[in-house]
Amino acid sequence: MLKNIIFITAIFISGVVQAQNILIKNGTVLTITDGVKENTDVLILGGKIKQIGANIAVPKDTRVVDAKGLYVMPGIIDAHSHIALDAINEFASPVTAEVSVGDMINPFDVAIYRALAGGVTISHAMHGSANAIGGQCQTIKHRYGVTNPDALKMEGAPRTIKFALGENPMRVHGEGKNIIPNTRMGVEQTFRDAFAEGRLYMQRWEDFRKGITKESPEYNLRLQTMADILRGDILIHCHSYRADEILMLMNVLKDFGVKKICFQHVNEGFKVAPELAAFGATASVFSDWWAYKFEVYYSTAYNAAILTKNGVTTSINSDDPELIRHLYHEASKTQRYGGLTDEQALALITINPAKQLGIDDRVGSITVGKDGDIVLFKHHPLSVYAIPQMTIVDGIVRFDIQKDPDDMRMEVSPTASESSYYQEMYGEEEDSCLQGFSEWLMDSKTK
Amino acid sequence: MSNKIYAFICLIFAWMTGADIHAQVSGNPKSFSDTYLLKNCFVIPQPGQLLTGQDILIKKGKIAAIGTSLKAPFDAVEIPMDSMYVYAGFIDAYSHTGIARPEQKDRPKVSDTVYPQNEEAGITPQVHAGDSYQSSDKSVAEMRAAGFTLSNIVPRGFMLPGYADLFNLGDEPGDRMLLKAETAQNFQFTPIRGVYPGTVMGVMAKFRELYKNAELFAAKEKLYKDMPTQYNRPEYSRELNALTDVTSRKLRLFVRAGHTRDVYRAMKLSSELGFDLVLADVKQGWHYLDEIKKTNTGVILSVDLPEMEKTKTDSVSSKKQSPFEIKKAESLKAYLSQAATFEKAGIPFAFSFIDVKTGDIKKNIRTMVENGLSEKAALAALTTYPAQLMGVAAQTGTIEKGKLANLVITNKPYFDEKAAIRYVFVEGKKFEFSEKPKAKDGGKYAGIWSYVVEIPGMTQEGKVTIIFENGEYKISMYDNTRPGDVITAEDISVEGNRITFSSNVNMGQPIHLNFDLTMEDKTYSGTVTVSGFGAFPVKGTWISKPNNL
Repeated sequence: MLKNIIFITAIFISGVVQAQNILIKNGTVLTITDGVKENTDVLILGGKIKQIGANIAVPKDTRVVDAKGLYVMPGIIDAHSHIALDAINEFASPVTAEVSVGDMINPFDVAIYRALAGGVTISHAMHGSANAIGGQCQTIKHRYGVTNPDALKMEGAPRTIKFALGENPMRVHGEGKNIIPNTRMGVEQTFRDAFAEGRLYMQRWEDFRKGITKESPEYNLRLQTMADILRGDILIHCHSYRADEILMLMNVLKDFGVKKICFQHVNEGFKVAPELAAFGATASVFSDWWAYKFEVYYSTAYNAAILTKNGVTTSINSDDPELIRHLYHEASKTQRYGGLTDEQALALITINPAKQLGIDDRVGSITVGKDGDIVLFKHHPLSVYAIPQMTIVDGIVRFDIQKDPDDMRMEVSPTASESSYYQEMYGEEEDSCLQGFSEWLMDSKTK
Repeated sequence: MSNKIYAFICLIFAWMTGADIHAQVSGNPKSFSDTYLLKNCFVIPQPGQLLTGQDILIKKGKIAAIGTSLKAPFDAVEIPMDSMYVYAGFIDAYSHTGIARPEQKDRPKVSDTVYPQNEEAGITPQVHAGDSYQSSDKSVAEMRAAGFTLSNIVPRGFMLPGYADLFNLGDEPGDRMLLKAETAQNFQFTPIRGVYPGTVMGVMAKFRELYKNAELFAAKEKLYKDMPTQYNRPEYSRELNALTDVTSRKLRLFVRAGHTRDVYRAMKLSSELGFDLVLADVKQGWHYLDEIKKTNTGVILSVDLPEMEKTKTDSVSSKKQSPFEIKKAESLKAYLSQAATFEKAGIPFAFSFIDVKTGDIKKNIRTMVENGLSEKAALAALTTYPAQLMGVAAQTGTIEKGKLANLVITNKPYFDEKAAIRYVFVEGKKFEFSEKPKAKDGGKYAGIWSYVVEIPGMTQEGKVTIIFENGEYKISMYDNTRPGDVITAEDISVEGNRITFSSNVNMGQPIHLNFDLTMEDKTYSGTVTVSGFGAFPVKGTWISKPNNL
């Protein structure tokens, strides 16, 4: 037992697992973009999908995985998560475009492994929704076992940034600190001011570069980032609920010539689905989660289906380290509520989130040339009996239900006490009165 | 001056310095001579070497000669050193020695938390550690008593606390003890809650912006200096001006990087921006050895080690360990053998002494040695490498003729468990240490006591364990609701029936507690002062004699 654990630890900690060559034999391949192929092999060489077909010969140094009776689908992609991050919100300003959760990656977070156990190979690690313009987000590959934080980043994935509408920025800044935004119109003005300043900043540097002005302007990372959004270099992912605000933000973006946006949560998206489609905006929703605050009461489980049928590229996300483990169940709910086809329902957790993150040329379907991100299911992934068996990222097996020992944390603190799953996920109960006391005093002082 | 008056002054002086410095110091009357001849010592001139039967002549603060059978000049004080070991004085590469912990007042209200003033946001790179250094602070005497003759002192502060200054740990005031000013600039991932930047990611973004602006500032200053009639005078900024020492690579940036991701983030900022990095106060740096080595990054390892749990040895063999227990043991081993791991990887390092009680320094370094660190590398981390890192290797770090008479003298080899420091010379000034006096009360307060702290609206209860061992009190506290968390007392002082001690607890942010207790036979009462919040009543009763742990 001890030997086993040390061995497994060694493999994971070292992180220098070579890309394996894997031949997945005789599975039912759900390609997503090219139908379902029975009794088909998928060959991964050097981390990429090399060949899809029947009776592929086994190349040298290739591991063969027997997928007879199993479903083979592309790794699930979660367009909204906060796992593997040491910090989520830079609360201290209503606009924090300059910060990046890419600086906060924690490759040791066991939530990555739990996501793998749910077949999720990529997630969009996002800044929180405290600010109208939050920080930049990071698309990560679930290469659990590497210790280098940057090794989790999906190379070449476009930059993305978090925006937020409604109650959260109003509560944190308006109610909390009595500064703008205190109202929904204040949120709109915060966007407009930030874009206007970003445009001016861009102009100032342009003038300096052209020699129109002699002294260089001051460098401002926040406005620099706003300028990058204006140039179309950064995709916006906006926390949103209400239809009126969704329309408002599209109007703001039109005024500033910004085209790329994915609305997150977008619970009232069903009310403005044609408008979203016309703008080219996409939507990433919960299957059936709402009523956790006032602005999220007007919701329906038909949201994803209505959006999809109106031509909006839609995904289903988790926003949660527990929900991320069964996104395939979440997708299947759209068949009960809205009657989506298997292909449409699976697209919600594969190719569609890939499009929203700008990585659909690399992942999201089983296509020759794409990354070797694969999950093997026992039972169809949209069945309530579905259980992920093996999850492969870039041709490397990162989860195997046959080799899944009790404690898969990469390391624990030498002073840790054994914690339950609940404590791991939600933090320890606050049972030390001084602890609560100090936090409360701290907070009251900042208000 | 009559003899009587002279003797009186001497007495007063002896009493003052004795009281001032440390209980361990027997008193250091001002010497009548600055020349000493240390006779017949074992000399460790540098790590890995040993010379026997050596004499060392100290004159005017420097090592005037080393050799066998040196002749004492007429004014020399001869000190017989038979069987004592002389090492180059230890160098602390990173600490707040001599800078008193600031009074925990309410922070002044920040009028604009979104756009705070630089100082309100912890951006004070123009500050010098020396401005708040006091040689009379008791931490100086404590470090000296632990064998340290030089401290590279970092200002207390937040994100950019200021310049480090290298001080001789003598007892003379102020700048007279400064060996080298501005040894480094400092950075730490320490935000100020409620003010922008309020998180580590905010601090990183703000640092990138300041760095770029420091580069622009230097360029604009140069343009204006070269062509003052052509350009407008750039707006001066003390903060940016101080940072140009980093952007121009005149100074290295010491980045306090305790844990894994701090280390990674520091290296990432360095490779992105191009400054010369020294990783400081590293507690968990073993994941990135290759990168550290490849980039030639300077390293200062923390002497703070996680506490080892006392496990009953008989139960270990009989009970099978859970995967969790195995991981925990592996993790502890990794911490304790960090220094050995760095040595094995061929990465030199110095030591830092923040978060570590002075009394634990030697114990912890010995623990590192027990976990694979060679004594030679340990000594290099205390002497030669920090001297190089601070750019003072020509002046100190080894025992050589002409170098500063910074020496530490022990009765047995330093790494021996029973070795005691007998003399420390700081720039030729002698400090003598006698056997530690035993506490006088014989440990009558030893026992397990309850405690109840009354905080408005809540009550916190637990146990206090007072142990009396080798003439010393040790105090730990256990909260009833969190029996796993032990609060260890520091600075324990027992005077009559009054016990005072302090401790630091981390509750999202470091909290400093000061206890002041008046003991009766079976009860006690007093107050606990919580940094920043005020004093609260505390009381308790005697429960039992201490268990043998």
